[in-house]
Amino acid sequence: MGNKQTVFTHEQLEAYQDCTFFTRKEIMRLFYRYQDLAPQLVPLDYTSCPDVKVPYELIGSMPELKDNPFRQRIAQVFSEDGDGHMTLDNFLDMFSVMSEMAPRDLKAYYAFKIYDFNNDGYICAWDLEQTVTKLTRGELSAEEVSLVCERVLDEADGDHDGRLSLEDFQNMILRAPDFLSTFHIRI
Amino acid sequence: MLSDDQVNEIIVEVENVPSGVVPEKTLVNSSFRMVSSASDIHVTDSQSFSNPNDKKSKQLLWFSTSLNESFSQTLHSPGSVGIDTPCTSHENIQGQKLIASLIPMTSRDRIKAIRNQPRTMEEKRNLKKMVDKEKSKQSRRMLELNCCAQCLNSISRAYRRSKNSLSELLDSVSLWQKTLKVIGGKFGTSVLSYFNFLRWLLKFNIFSFIVTFSFIIIPQFMVAEKNTLQFTGLEFFTGVGYFRNTVMYYGFYTNSTIGHRNGGASYNMQLAYLFTIGACLVICFFSLLFSMARYFRNNFINPHIYSRGIAKLIFCWDFTVTHEKAVKLKQKNLSTEIRENLSEIRQENVKLTLNQQLIRFSAHLAAWVVSTGVAVACCVAVYYLAENNSEFLKKHKDPGAVLLLPFIVSCINLAVPRLYSLFKLVEWYEMPRHEVYTLLIRNIFLKISIIGILCYYWLNIVAQAGEECWETLIGQEIYRLHLMDFVFSLADSFLGEFLRRLIGMQFITSLGLQEFDIARNVLELIYAQTLVWIGTFFCPLLPFIQMITLFIMFYVKNISLMMNFQPPSKAWRASQMMTFFIFLLFFPSFTGVLCTLAITIWRLKPSADCGPFRGLPFFIYSIYGWIDTLSKRPSYLWVVWIYQNLIGSVHFFFILTLIVLIITYLYWQITEGRKIMIRLLHEQIINEGKDKMFLIEKLTKLQDMEKRANTSSFTMERRDVEQPGPLPVGERDAARDLRFRRSVQEENSKA
Repeated sequence: MGNKQTVFTHEQLEAYQDCTFFTRKEIMRLFYRYQDLAPQLVPLDYTSCPDVKVPYELIGSMPELKDNPFRQRIAQVFSEDGDGHMTLDNFLDMFSVMSEMAPRDLKAYYAFKIYDFNNDGYICAWDLEQTVTKLTRGELSAEEVSLVCERVLDEADGDHDGRLSLEDFQNMILRAPDFLSTFHIRI
Repeated sequence: MLSDDQVNEIIVEVENVPSGVVPEKTLVNSSFRMVSSASDIHVTDSQSFSNPNDKKSKQLLWFSTSLNESFSQTLHSPGSVGIDTPCTSHENIQGQKLIASLIPMTSRDRIKAIRNQPRTMEEKRNLKKMVDKEKSKQSRRMLELNCCAQCLNSISRAYRRSKNSLSELLDSVSLWQKTLKVIGGKFGTSVLSYFNFLRWLLKFNIFSFIVTFSFIIIPQFMVAEKNTLQFTGLEFFTGVGYFRNTVMYYGFYTNSTIGHRNGGASYNMQLAYLFTIGACLVICFFSLLFSMARYFRNNFINPHIYSRGIAKLIFCWDFTVTHEKAVKLKQKNLSTEIRENLSEIRQENVKLTLNQQLIRFSAHLAAWVVSTGVAVACCVAVYYLAENNSEFLKKHKDPGAVLLLPFIVSCINLAVPRLYSLFKLVEWYEMPRHEVYTLLIRNIFLKISIIGILCYYWLNIVAQAGEECWETLIGQEIYRLHLMDFVFSLADSFLGEFLRRLIGMQFITSLGLQEFDIARNVLELIYAQTLVWIGTFFCPLLPFIQMITLFIMFYVKNISLMMNFQPPSKAWRASQMMTFFIFLLFFPSFTGVLCTLAITIWRLKPSADCGPFRGLPFFIYSIYGWIDTLSKRPSYLWVVWIYQNLIGSVHFFFILTLIVLIITYLYWQITEGRKIMIRLLHEQIINEGKDKMFLIEKLTKLQDMEKRANTSSFTMERRDVEQPGPLPVGERDAARDLRFRRSVQEENSKA
């Protein structure tokens, strides 16, 4: 496994390896996936740290994401400016968190941010309504949706302030051991 | 409860902020966050974690969640320090604490902690750089520890690099990654768990095969006698005939000490046989134990809290599903499940009349009696058939007649579980998971009792009937059972599921496609693996055969899945089920195998003229003989000592058991204490929430009073008053919203 690649410097690759859950080979594979999304935009030489952002439309068209109901939120959460356009760092971050090696707390933190549609640091009733609508794609009536949101807040709101904080969410995730295997995108 | 001084302090913080330095929105957040972060740290410190590294990384996570954008700005531009507003310097101190806590860690823990930080890549990189810089500054000061520490550092770095390259190598040979991705994409995590289980069992068998091949089969090949028997094609199914004199069966192995030509190292076949099988089983044992422990730790945190909850349905969306149709179907199924859940919660207070309860109870009782009766009847039939098998074989000279017993057993294994599934038409369960567990228990009882009866028959009757080479006979029986089971599974996949699809799609279209029955398939895998573990002693090539069958099964099941099945409609608790299955694999299955082999080795007399243990009174006497020869050599006396005082001594095991029981009791008490602690902390969280509401109310009241005072005194100064306006208005809105929520909740709780 020699250093035959010319895309990154040795230090860059080491830094990526230490900051994500991926091995060197996987990082290179992810880079080529990223590059395939926008071949004219993404240079093949990252040693000079170019500032390149792949627009959200291309990210959202990846086969792993294109049918996911939360793809827009995922891209927004992991992008730098919250608009869904991702640099290579954001891209690697996203798949590192969604990989199977990431621990439960880290995944719960980012899942919380994904479900927090208005980015206020809490999942309020409106956020829940958005989540349920995206999950059921209009199959449930508005009355059922609000009933569901009420029940969720009843169940999960530990300090009874009418919205879910990160701690409430993490506490609820502890009771759902499937979370670790379902919050996982394989690439 | 926070004291009044702290409340006033918070109000002072909000008022003293000069506008324009930090955006106002973050100030609002930070004032609320300080209330919550103070209680956060308090809560975190009072929790006790067993693993100190866990504690550090968890504390780091808590620290980081209460940091806001100003700290991330610090990380983006590492040169700038100290923005002199009171809020941001507070966060900066926390950032310095984070770096300071990372420095004393070992590099492995540091990397783990950095990876687990919920920050962007750039922040993590800068964090790592700062920590490395600080660490190198510190290490320059500690020159006297240089030599040893550097040595250890370079060793750990080399170890980490080798581990990385090894994991990269393993990844590249990782089987079926793409196929599993496609299966997960179309059917979700639950069906994927079956295929992952299959792949995991395959790894076991590959390992067993490699070990037996290297240590038993290759040496035997070197002293193999020529095989004079004829080969016809039927031997693949019956296992007799030509295969009798190959490395496949116990009987072929020599009992001699294979010596090197020039009298060098010698290879004792008896010891090699016992130790190899023993090593395989020991490694399987530890592997199973660690997997089981890991699954228990991840998935059984609060087993007594079964939340029939809807929150889990909402927040545990399966992100592995990527196929468009599968996603749409899943959304539809989720809506159905949510509706069912809502109506269940409304109906959960329905009381049954005594009559209805009696009917339900008697239905359950009848079902259990029938299922147990069927299982017992099958066992008796198998035993009767096995007993009369030899006479039957003497009457019918057809070489295929030996296949009758495996055929009957496989038919039982095919038909009776489906009969058990029909019981759900009669029985009614309160919770759907009770239904799954009942079905599983009945199937397990059936399969384990059949294997148990067969083992009893083999060990008590075949082994002591005085037949020539009974071990090979048992090996052949197990081989036939295993192969027939495999043939039936193939037939079931190719014919049965295909037919079911035809019926569902063309004839009775209301049935639709079937769903993959994960429980039944996993039980079949466990049954096959149990047979293989028992049979390895009598037929050392059996892991190889199991390897091939698992390999073929994967592809057959995959193709059948894609063609004949639809994605599951109900949520299947994959993690808890997997834990249960691995526990099953360990507890009746593996421990049963160990018992059987123990009885074989300690109680049975090996056959007189075949196999590596021929002529000995018991199998175990080979070990006794070896210890005897070792005791004559002075340099190996420590082995003899260990054997006599540790393995062969009753006192040692008694003391060991006592120590293990004491440790178990202590851990149990610690667990009970922690449960109480969890309950107390939960109550504390609720109290803190009430504190927060109280403080917010007080805050808004004070600000209302102030605003009233301002507007009533100078009407001309309205322009100046309005400038800090957006701040309190936003807070007031939020507080009003929260107060409204709280009053609604109080009304709800009263109702």
